[in-house]
Amino acid sequence: MRSMVDDARIPKPGFWSNWSSWEEADAQNSLGHDPLLVFPKDKLVEEGSNVTICYVSRIHRDNISCYLEGVQIYGEQLDRSVSAFELKNVSFIRKRGTNVFCKVDQGGALGGIVLFVSKVLEEPKDFSCETQDLKTLTCTWDPGSDTGLSKQPSQSYTLFESFSGKKTLCKHRNWCNWQVAQDSQETYNFTLVAENYLRKRSVSILFNLTQRVHPMTPYNLFPKNVGATNATMTWKVHSIGNNSTLLCQLELLAEGKVIQQHNVSIKVNGEYLLSELEPDTEYVARVRCAYTNHFWKWSELISQKFNTAEAAPSEAPDVWRNMKMVSGHPTVSLFWKPLSKVHANGKILFYNVIVENLDKPSRLEVLSIPAPTRSTELTLDQCSYQIHVTAHNSVGPSPASVIVISGDPGNEEVESGRVNGTEDGFSVSWKPQSGDATGYVVEWCDGPQDLPCALQWKNLGPNTTSTVISSGAFRPGVRYNFRIYEISAKRMAHLLEKKAGYLEELAPSDNPQVVMSNLTSHSFTLSWKDYSTESQPGFIQGYHVYLKPKAGEQCPPAFEKTVLPEDSLCCKHTIDNPEQKTFVVENLQPESVYEFFVTAYTSVGEGPLDAFTKITTLDEYSHILIRIILPMIFCVLIVMIICYLKHQWLKEKCYPDIPDPYKSSVLSLIKSKENPHLTIMNINDCVPDAIEVINKPEGSKIQFLGTRKSLTETEFTKPAYIYLLPTEKNYSGPGPCICFENFTYNQAASDFASCGHFPVTPQAPPHQLGPLTSPENLLKALEQNYMNSLGEIPAGEANLNYVSQLASSTSGDKDSLPTNPPEPALCSEYKMQMVIPLGLASAPPSENSSLSSTTLLGQGEHYR
Amino acid sequence: MRAQRMRRTPLSVILGLLFLSMAATSKCLGKYHELLLQLRRQADLMQDTSTLLDPYIRIQGLDTPGLKEHCRECPGAFPSEDALRGLSRQGFLRTLNATLGLVLHRLTALYQDLPEAQQLVGLNIRGFRSNIHCMSLLLRSSSEAETPEPTQPGPGPTPPPTPPSDAFQHKLKSCRFLRGYHCFMHSVGQVLREWGESRSRSRSRRHSPRRAPGDTAPSGPCRGGARRMWPFRRDRRLMPRGHLPR
Repeated sequence: MRSMVDDARIPKPGFWSNWSSWEEADAQNSLGHDPLLVFPKDKLVEEGSNVTICYVSRIHRDNISCYLEGVQIYGEQLDRSVSAFELKNVSFIRKRGTNVFCKVDQGGALGGIVLFVSKVLEEPKDFSCETQDLKTLTCTWDPGSDTGLSKQPSQSYTLFESFSGKKTLCKHRNWCNWQVAQDSQETYNFTLVAENYLRKRSVSILFNLTQRVHPMTPYNLFPKNVGATNATMTWKVHSIGNNSTLLCQLELLAEGKVIQQHNVSIKVNGEYLLSELEPDTEYVARVRCAYTNHFWKWSELISQKFNTAEAAPSEAPDVWRNMKMVSGHPTVSLFWKPLSKVHANGKILFYNVIVENLDKPSRLEVLSIPAPTRSTELTLDQCSYQIHVTAHNSVGPSPASVIVISGDPGNEEVESGRVNGTEDGFSVSWKPQSGDATGYVVEWCDGPQDLPCALQWKNLGPNTTSTVISSGAFRPGVRYNFRIYEISAKRMAHLLEKKAGYLEELAPSDNPQVVMSNLTSHSFTLSWKDYSTESQPGFIQGYHVYLKPKAGEQCPPAFEKTVLPEDSLCCKHTIDNPEQKTFVVENLQPESVYEFFVTAYTSVGEGPLDAFTKITTLDEYSHILIRIILPMIFCVLIVMIICYLKHQWLKEKCYPDIPDPYKSSVLSLIKSKENPHLTIMNINDCVPDAIEVINKPEGSKIQFLGTRKSLTETEFTKPAYIYLLPTEKNYSGPGPCICFENFTYNQAASDFASCGHFPVTPQAPPHQLGPLTSPENLLKALEQNYMNSLGEIPAGEANLNYVSQLASSTSGDKDSLPTNPPEPALCSEYKMQMVIPLGLASAPPSENSSLSSTTLLGQGEHYR
Repeated sequence: MRAQRMRRTPLSVILGLLFLSMAATSKCLGKYHELLLQLRRQADLMQDTSTLLDPYIRIQGLDTPGLKEHCRECPGAFPSEDALRGLSRQGFLRTLNATLGLVLHRLTALYQDLPEAQQLVGLNIRGFRSNIHCMSLLLRSSSEAETPEPTQPGPGPTPPPTPPSDAFQHKLKSCRFLRGYHCFMHSVGQVLREWGESRSRSRSRRHSPRRAPGDTAPSGPCRGGARRMWPFRRDRRLMPRGHLPR
């Protein structure tokens, strides 16, 4: 054991005493009843120290394991019952200490210690003292790590002033107050001592009190008499000592930036007039102060917001116009841009538009348009007008913007050019026209032209001949049209040039809709006249016509071979004139299949590859056939139409319902060829031999009347016959018949006319048949009816039945002309030809039985 | 595990404050079963080692192999579960109150080691003791002729906490003490649970469930130790008239 003096008043380094003599101790005795003793108990060391730990045990060391925080450690056996462990460079683990323990493997006896490892005490950093009022000093420092443990409290701090010899124990880890002595001590020498169980650390400063004045934050900072361009700021400070002066710094901030800075020396009350302010603007004023006698530190800042008052707008609004004719009247759309905040000087409430006629004296027309409207429309006449536009806020109007509108729209046909777009925008340039231009205006639309145009314009000075038009609204693939106007001295705008351009050209997005025409065996024509080159995403430079010929065929002369993107061979023809929108594909093979496709191209490329359209050329003769067949078909159609329209006339002429025997061609034929004496038999010349009346069922009558079918189709069931016996004595019964054939008579009727039969309904009452038994009556009736039919009933009437006059030797022999002259005697059968009106058939029976006998036949019944 | 403990801690704070506020209002619940239920829940909360023992072990660095085992022993400093069962209800409450008073005293000495946990557990113990007081009043009003019974000697007349001989022994002793406290509260919870079962047995002696469904006691913090269930000797006699189970 040895010792050394440890006192602050003794200068370091101190001196150690000599070591004491060795004392011998029996370790076994220290065990007592415990089987295991670990020591030293509760050792406090600094981080990085080397520590030796020992245990004493009666148990053999092989049965004892020792651990440092659960990790086994191995030591050195000093003697039979004592072992030692050397822990080097121990580190801080926790405030509750590092656990080191040993335990007996069998039996569970446990012994241990807690090693308290403290962090090394650091020297206080940034130690300084200052005063706000020359009455109290506040000293601050950075304490560094806390060295507190369960075994050791946190380090303490003591402030010692060497001139006064006073010291104070600081209650806080990083600051301490010191009361300034009343004896006007100016210089102070402070020593700050940090201390724990293991170490002391100190730091000192020497200073003059008045050089460590840190004023308190100013207060009551307010704006006063705030105008449009100036304001007075007032504030107060805490006094320091007696009659001390403070230097205050007043800063003015707008939009977060310091725009003015002023230094003011004050004692208690501060005031400063801020000028050159912008109207209707929010500002922030802030103040800080420092001790004037010796600058040490600025006080904390105090800030205050304020707004300046409004003023009349300082600049005329930027006005432009767009002219168009509406219903024959020039209509002017006036546009103006909102004034910038700098020029508006307040909230714009409305705009005044004053229209003055320059050609004839008239009353001024004044329009007041509330903000934020930025346009209006005026309908004018052919006179010239001067338009004044002013913006108004709560204080007053702005200077007027003047524009002159001429009744004459002027020359709209000016040179058109192209303008190239770049990343910065469109670089537009022009050639001045007259020397008295007061300025230029470039106008354009921000969006595509088919949208409602958001008119934009840019005013330029008189000496400017180019500008860059940039806008965030510009998009690639959209055509923008720029119009450059020259503003004359009379403030009238004249169109100077037109420019069109793309910020970035793109390939066409769609292909022309192609119409094919004039197809021949060797050519066809393609046209795409509806394709608008103006609305494409780039300047159309021309068109590509692709043609796929049939396999093995060469490209036509105007085409060249090319390879399509899908690696198929194709013929291509380039049209380099964007206005040429037709193309004749020639030199083709007849009756061949071709495929074509037309696309436009710009400087970037051509349109998308669409599907090809197939076409087959004609054969070489088809066009000739068409030239013949078509007119023929036309003629046939004309004839058919005429026939249809004149079918009544034709019927009368060619196939009347009741043919006129005198007009029959048969007669003339017979006369001319065989017997010139042949004539038509008069009915009076014919004496009937017998009349056979056929009784026919009612159903058949109905069928006759209703359907008007041919007679051959009519079914006769159970016919009943009335035989009229011949009155002539020379009648000798049935014999060969001679038929007088009427060639105009229809086949059905002749078929139906079997010899000597008159079908009569069986229901016919006998008294109705009676009169017919008289040949005279019958002849009269027949003659009368026949003559009536000829004279009174018009031919072709639908409800008339024609009964033919027929005589034939054999039934059914109707096609052959009679070769022998008729013999009126033997069994000649007379077939009467007459017309029976339907009205007769339906007439009720009368006393004139000879006339009413025909009613027995009924409608549709035929005499024979 | 740590997150689970963190979730439990605010719950214990809320419950503790709730019971404390009830005690502060000095209004005892007049209903036996509600009071008993509160006591059981408090006991369940206080036997939870995550409120006190686990943080202590972690802070002291005792969660290492070789040291953990020496902290798991249930010391005999607290009355055993069987001893608690052998007491009358009033005796049980008196013993419980006295033991918890000693625990509070020891916890004060542990403040340096467990400042936050100690404060929370202190609130819980105070609230629990308040309910013990109310239960004692309730039982007293129902049985005035109860024979005075000596308090079961708990940890004994504990001397004021003396500075430990060394920090290592102090850590182990405190750890064992805290485990003993949790074990004790587990036993208290078991006994209180049987207070409720005595009513069920009185209704149906043939089927006497140990615990009502849903009223499962949390697993105890003590290792081993047969927990024999036996009824109180005078439980029926001690029921307050009009409140206790019939």
